[in-house]
Amino acid sequence: MPVFDVQQFRQQFSFFQHNPGWVYLDNAATMHKPDAVVSAISQFYQQHNSNVHRGAHQLSQQATRLFEQARTTVCRYINAKSSEEVIFTSGATAALNQIAFGLMHTVLGAGDRVLLTQLEHHANIVPWQLHCQRYGVIIDVVPLTADNQLDMTAYQQLLERKPKVVSFSHISNVLGHIQPIDAMLALAKKAGAITVVDGAQGVVYKQPDMQQLDCDFYVFSGHKLYGPTGIGILYGKKDWLEKLTPIFAGGEMIEQVSFVNTTFNKLPFKLEAGTPNIAGALGLAAAIDWLQLYNTEQLIQHKLLLLKEFYNGLSVIKGIDILSLPVHNAGIVALNVSNEHPADVAELLNQQNIAVRSGQHCAMPLFSYLARPGAVRCSFAAYNSLDDVNRCLLALEQAVEILTA
Amino acid sequence: MKLEQLLAETRSALVQINEQDLSKITQAKDWQSKYRVLMQLGKKLPPVPEKMKQPELLVKGCESRAWLLHYHNKTDDKHYFVLDSEARIVKGLMAIMLCLVNGMSSAELAKFDLNHKFDQLNLKPYLSQSRGSGLTAMAEKIKACC
Ligand SMILES: Cc1ncc(COP(=O)(O)O)c(C=O)c1O
Repeated sequence: MPVFDVQQFRQQFSFFQHNPGWVYLDNAATMHKPDAVVSAISQFYQQHNSNVHRGAHQLSQQATRLFEQARTTVCRYINAKSSEEVIFTSGATAALNQIAFGLMHTVLGAGDRVLLTQLEHHANIVPWQLHCQRYGVIIDVVPLTADNQLDMTAYQQLLERKPKVVSFSHISNVLGHIQPIDAMLALAKKAGAITVVDGAQGVVYKQPDMQQLDCDFYVFSGHKLYGPTGIGILYGKKDWLEKLTPIFAGGEMIEQVSFVNTTFNKLPFKLEAGTPNIAGALGLAAAIDWLQLYNTEQLIQHKLLLLKEFYNGLSVIKGIDILSLPVHNAGIVALNVSNEHPADVAELLNQQNIAVRSGQHCAMPLFSYLARPGAVRCSFAAYNSLDDVNRCLLALEQAVEILTA
Repeated sequence: MKLEQLLAETRSALVQINEQDLSKITQAKDWQSKYRVLMQLGKKLPPVPEKMKQPELLVKGCESRAWLLHYHNKTDDKHYFVLDSEARIVKGLMAIMLCLVNGMSSAELAKFDLNHKFDQLNLKPYLSQSRGSGLTAMAEKIKACC
């Protein structure tokens, strides 16, 4: 196996040629797309554009074939049992909304419990809240330990309340911590809960294996996996997907419609109302095909190297308050400059062409727990180089100097 | 602290910013010096006591929280402001906004073109940059006072 060559990897992203002055460390928000993805999308529009599952004509049949091939690509990548278990959505948010909406009333009712964690993204909180309030479902929350890890003892105690659903993120979008999901899933299943994994940050770290994880649902967005925006995946075990009430209704998802009654189409179409994001699906499949040209372990090692270098550099800058742990970290570091607002730090980095995100990162409950107004988040991808890390460190030093002058 | 005192202290700080600091910002030789001045501006303003920071004074759409107090002197039709913010750079930029409009009459405020003025001061990028910085929201909230 040849060694990982970050420059060769990076060259496949035209974005960096167009923005040579920038250090992009906002990968947890969205990643750049390799040229292979961009061409797959334009190729679809230039050569194959037609609607899917509809026309009698050959062009539509060809577009349908490409779209269904994309589903197969995703299915193989995540090792789902069959393509019917792979639903195209507009993203992780849409998928989580579909699950929360889809289980209410039929599966979840008054007095039932849903177990979430303190560090969830709003997308894995608010959809539950919205529907739970309406149906009298109770939400419990797994707290964190002093070093910002999930409190597994509390988790087990909360499982004794027999939640019907347990839903948590694979990797925290703020802290980067990789959750012990095998253990968490095993415990949740023993307690008889339906398991939902928010894989928005998890999917790019390591190829997730649905049959090995054995969760009931797993969701992610294409744009955090080198793919386009506006496409995402709702994976679910067939039996559970069958039980979901569709959140959207319309064309293609029905079998029979009259004004008296409607019966739904079979999976996956039941949960894909309306014309899907065909180019997005093809773009996502292209991202997966492209990513598989690389060795996952090498990409992980490269990111760990960046992380180590970053932590080393941070340790010698005065007054840095690091919220993320360096171990079991997927490549995200949340930090603050002591007594300074993260918006100021991020703006001073922005002045130096370092792209990071600051704020509460759609995880307000986490920040009220951490008792901080927010954090600056540096998130790394495999196309980042040691030079990026060092430029960010220098810029941070400069920021600290200006702030504390 | 009473509102009158806050208004009076803010007023003299804003006059000072207008007369002394604005030129330092436009003449700054590099971004570092510009930001150093910007961050000093906020410090000149009196802090608003926590209990006066009522939710309705919050400038919505800010990543960092900012508060705007407004007082309209009806006898001479003049508008006065008080400002606070959690973030120093934003607070500095907001202080510049206020130093341009503090003491204006309703008619003056209504026709004041903040965009144009920020452009002249080479600060326009901060206004249009991201809604998240709250500067656009602050500009709208100021305008809505008249
Ligand atoms: C952990 C987590 N969950 C859910 C989401 C929502 O993803 P999207 O906005 O792509 O739907 C994100 C994205 O920021 C995330 O990081």
